Amino acid sequence: MTAYLIRRVLALLPVMLVVLTIVFLLIHLIPGDPVSVMLGPDATLAQIQATRQSLGLDRPLYEQLFKFYGRVLRGDLGRSYFLDRPVTVALLERAEPTLVLTACALLVAVMIGVPSGIIAAAYRGSVWDRALMLGALLGVCIPGFWLSLNFIYLFAVRLGWLPAAGYTSFLVEPAAALRYMVLPAVSLGFNQSALIARISRSCMLEVLQQDYIRTARAKGLSQGATICGHAFRNALVPVITVIGITMAILIGGAVVTEIVFNIPGLGRLIVSAIMRRDYPVVQGVVLVTAAAYVLINLTVDLLYAFIDPRIRYD
Amino acid sequence: MDRSGLFRTVVAAFLAVGLIGAGAASAADTPKKGGLLRVGNLGEPPALDAHWTTASITETLTNHIYEGLYSLDEANRPIPMLAESHTVSRDGLTYTFKLRQGIKFHNGKEMTSEDVVASLTRWGKQSVYGRILFAKVADFRAVDPYTVEMKLKERVGIVLISLAVPNNFGAIYPKEIAERFPPQTKITEYIGTGPFKLAEWKPDQYIRMVRFDDYKSRNEKASGYGGGKTAYVDEIRWIPVPDVATRVAQVETGELDFADDLNLDAYERLKGTPNARPIIGTPYYWLVAVLNKKEGLMTNQKLRQAWQAAIDVEPIMKNVAGGKPEFYRMDSSLAFAEVPAWHTTITGLPWNEHNKDKARRLLREAGYTGEPIRFMTTQEYKWMYDFALLTKQQLEDVGFTIDLQVMDWSTLVQRRNNSKAYDAFTTGIGNFFDPTHHVYLTCIWPGWTCDEDILKLQDELAREIDPKKRFALWVRQTRQFYEKVPVIRYGDLFGLRAARTTVKGFNEKTERIRFYNVWLDK
Amino acid sequence: MTEAAVDGAVAGSAEAVSPLTEALRSTWLRRISRNRNVVTGALILLVLVLAALFADVISTHSPTRLFPANRLKPPSAEHYLGTDEFGRDVYSLVVHGSQISLLVGATTMLLTSLGGIVTGLLAGYYRRLDLILMRFMDGLMAFPAILLAIALMAARGPGVWNVIFALSVVYLPRTAMLIRSTVLTIRELDYVQAARALGRGDPAIAFRHILPNCLAPLLVQASFIFAYAILAEAILGFLGVGVPPYVPSWGNVIASGKNVIREAFWVSLFPGLALTLAGLSLNLLGDGLRDTLDPRLRVQ
Repeated sequence: MTAYLIRRVLALLPVMLVVLTIVFLLIHLIPGDPVSVMLGPDATLAQIQATRQSLGLDRPLYEQLFKFYGRVLRGDLGRSYFLDRPVTVALLERAEPTLVLTACALLVAVMIGVPSGIIAAAYRGSVWDRALMLGALLGVCIPGFWLSLNFIYLFAVRLGWLPAAGYTSFLVEPAAALRYMVLPAVSLGFNQSALIARISRSCMLEVLQQDYIRTARAKGLSQGATICGHAFRNALVPVITVIGITMAILIGGAVVTEIVFNIPGLGRLIVSAIMRRDYPVVQGVVLVTAAAYVLINLTVDLLYAFIDPRIRYD
Repeated sequence: MDRSGLFRTVVAAFLAVGLIGAGAASAADTPKKGGLLRVGNLGEPPALDAHWTTASITETLTNHIYEGLYSLDEANRPIPMLAESHTVSRDGLTYTFKLRQGIKFHNGKEMTSEDVVASLTRWGKQSVYGRILFAKVADFRAVDPYTVEMKLKERVGIVLISLAVPNNFGAIYPKEIAERFPPQTKITEYIGTGPFKLAEWKPDQYIRMVRFDDYKSRNEKASGYGGGKTAYVDEIRWIPVPDVATRVAQVETGELDFADDLNLDAYERLKGTPNARPIIGTPYYWLVAVLNKKEGLMTNQKLRQAWQAAIDVEPIMKNVAGGKPEFYRMDSSLAFAEVPAWHTTITGLPWNEHNKDKARRLLREAGYTGEPIRFMTTQEYKWMYDFALLTKQQLEDVGFTIDLQVMDWSTLVQRRNNSKAYDAFTTGIGNFFDPTHHVYLTCIWPGWTCDEDILKLQDELAREIDPKKRFALWVRQTRQFYEKVPVIRYGDLFGLRAARTTVKGFNEKTERIRFYNVWLDK
Repeated sequence: MTEAAVDGAVAGSAEAVSPLTEALRSTWLRRISRNRNVVTGALILLVLVLAALFADVISTHSPTRLFPANRLKPPSAEHYLGTDEFGRDVYSLVVHGSQISLLVGATTMLLTSLGGIVTGLLAGYYRRLDLILMRFMDGLMAFPAILLAIALMAARGPGVWNVIFALSVVYLPRTAMLIRSTVLTIRELDYVQAARALGRGDPAIAFRHILPNCLAPLLVQASFIFAYAILAEAILGFLGVGVPPYVPSWGNVIASGKNVIREAFWVSLFPGLALTLAGLSLNLLGDGLRDTLDPRLRVQ
């Protein structure tokens, strides 16, 4: 097990090297210039040249790339051009909203998705099954950004029940924070729940066809007991996989939700950083989200072992 | 021209008096201190260093923290701010400024001539306006703790106005800060003399400014950007809300007290919202297509004239303004009507001719055979994209071929510096307070207006100090502009802001928002 | 949301990896045509394809000509679905928008399938290449998908082909990995080993034995990628980095309606519905194909 773990972690290193190189080259080869944006529309060409020099952007690209590798190895992600602080500090400041949003959306997704999947599977072919799966299908098909806009319009502007957008930390004002989080978490979670519901259903179906379930039924075990006691635990592995994948994806990618609901998280940070060519921030956020993504995948793999004793790693 | 100029000044003065009177009458409720003012704006400033960038968001924010020697009054004329008074020597070459005494920086230190010299020297090396002025300065030094002296190489008419412009302005920092950060490096310690001091800056979350209790206000009445300033609110919290629809929604729901840069379509709805009201921001920009006169197709003056002759400005402006006449103004003057000293009313200029036959004739004379014209614009500023798209259709109707290239703003501002990359690009011309500050009439700004005659007039304008003669030169420059067409002037566009009804005392007449003298009635 | 889309591709395909055996092939067409999901999905798709092909015939106005005087008119007999902020007819925009959406979706699907087959086969066959290719694919997969697409669009500028390129890069690794794992399973099967023993070359084995068996999972995967590409195109348009904004596409129309959603709901409503419908048809198709082709789900 330990040897396996070490091997898996070592295997992550080349992946991260690929990520680092791709992101560096991509962002530096993009047309656009952070300096022209920073100095404003009326800046003159001489001003722009001087500032490029002071940021080291006039050096050859390979030189900048190797400097970048060196800094990353020392744990230094550089300094944001725009935000006047080290990238690591900027990342830490934005991590909380994204983590909270991810957790809430995941909660919503699991709370809607898993029960729907189980019910649909238990009553396969019934009206319930059809209605739930139609809902799940719509959940996949409805464009999330469009749904968010309609939510804001309906619940914030028309009905006035919830704030339109914004963010407050749960540590500061828990009640207000919850109100801010409802719409984004629901509109993001709804999309994700569709996926979880469908996977849960098909995994449950598969398990329900196994012999031991038939045995349990034959023994006269109630439907509820069969489903909860026997079937669900065995359907859990793929469900956990998809929840893990969902989580990895949410962390890096609640971008559109963060933009529409004005949540100051990592997603919004990186989009604005791409737009204004804040190279160090783009590199930093991608590095961290990519690392989170591969680590979560690893964790999911390892979790299998605990849930399903049939899986062994050597 | 002179007479009409005088007439306008008088009218403007009456209007100003009338407005102040009306303001006083309606402000029956007296100002009170306290409260948190939440302001939604569209993004993050690249810096809080006024010397360093021309970005308008930096201008708005830094003017609450810092002050310069001069400021602008209601009619956009220079008035003293940190300066007490000034004298000019007989030969016009030496300006002596007396500073106000007992002015405290946010760190408790008193402001003296040393700080002024260090700050303005830094500003003179970095700022667009500072460099123009300091190119003419022979020596700038402290005479005594409350007196500074500026010796000029030659007589120029732009000393006070340059010190008064609010954009990229000559903010006074403590000497230690001005000297520690070289001009190309933005400052990261924010200490000024303004009515608010920076408390906290959390990028993409908020910028908090709190009242500076030791602020010493001028005794004059508030006027324009200058005069007496009182910080009534305890705190201004600037919250970046990049999505425009969200900004509007947050004012409606009361999550914001004030929002800037809204989409004009929200105007009607804001009028119907009981607890909020729309505010029309005048002026915002005049829309402009800047033409590349260094390389490519647009070096051909006939082709530039054809573009100018072809466009029908009113429908374009009306569409950009969301169909609302409140939000645009048809004007050919290069200076806004809000700057009465430089606003011109010349008739018969070839502006907004929408003469298709003339355009076609000019195209023929130019020898144009349908080569695509690369026209760059961006959606990050929606109005730019809108007028570019409408322009494309109008130009193609007379025989142009327009290759409309939509890109993000950071690509556009980079690419426009490269004379090989484009033929035209969109932007907006904001408020300039002196004829020599109009960047599109210089050879050092994208588009490269290096025409000798234009530059010669610019030079004369810089040297001349008699206001009447300067105005006459400016009228000549305007006529010359419409003949040589360095850029295409469209109409004036206004901006939309929204305030909760609890926000009182807001000066609606300034180009950019200011929150000193504003109080909350909650 | 994008991410849900992106990931559905993975999850959707995860269930479809098992190979289609020879015996099944004779009946699968028949089975597919009896599946209600497939039929419904295919019918909706057919309507969309017809709309795209005959857009000029069935639209009532030019989708590109601006009529500033007609801006934001509500739905009426003259403009079935109202007009947008430039006075363009929303109905005609939606009809023409199907061209872009289907073009982006179909081409991305084709490119990822072809690229995925080539990469997957190479990786499945040559272990040394496998190491490099898969690290590269892992690297690409580790990017948050929408960010990779945004960055690629920023690098190449707006344009239909740039959108297709960006989305193909984003979705390619998923198809490649699917093909690779299928190849790895199948190449160990007896009949493939037998063919090898008979001296058949790698290309022959690949085309004769392995590719046909990849077809079923690939088909399922492709129909989902089609759907996600359409959705992703709209999201890129919504963020202002998709096809040029003056090109009539659903994403662009929703984006332009976003700011006026309260004044003129129809501008974003109808392309949003069209987008949902297209997604629905392709998901039905994908689900149906999976149900029919995946032996594990084909019980009772």
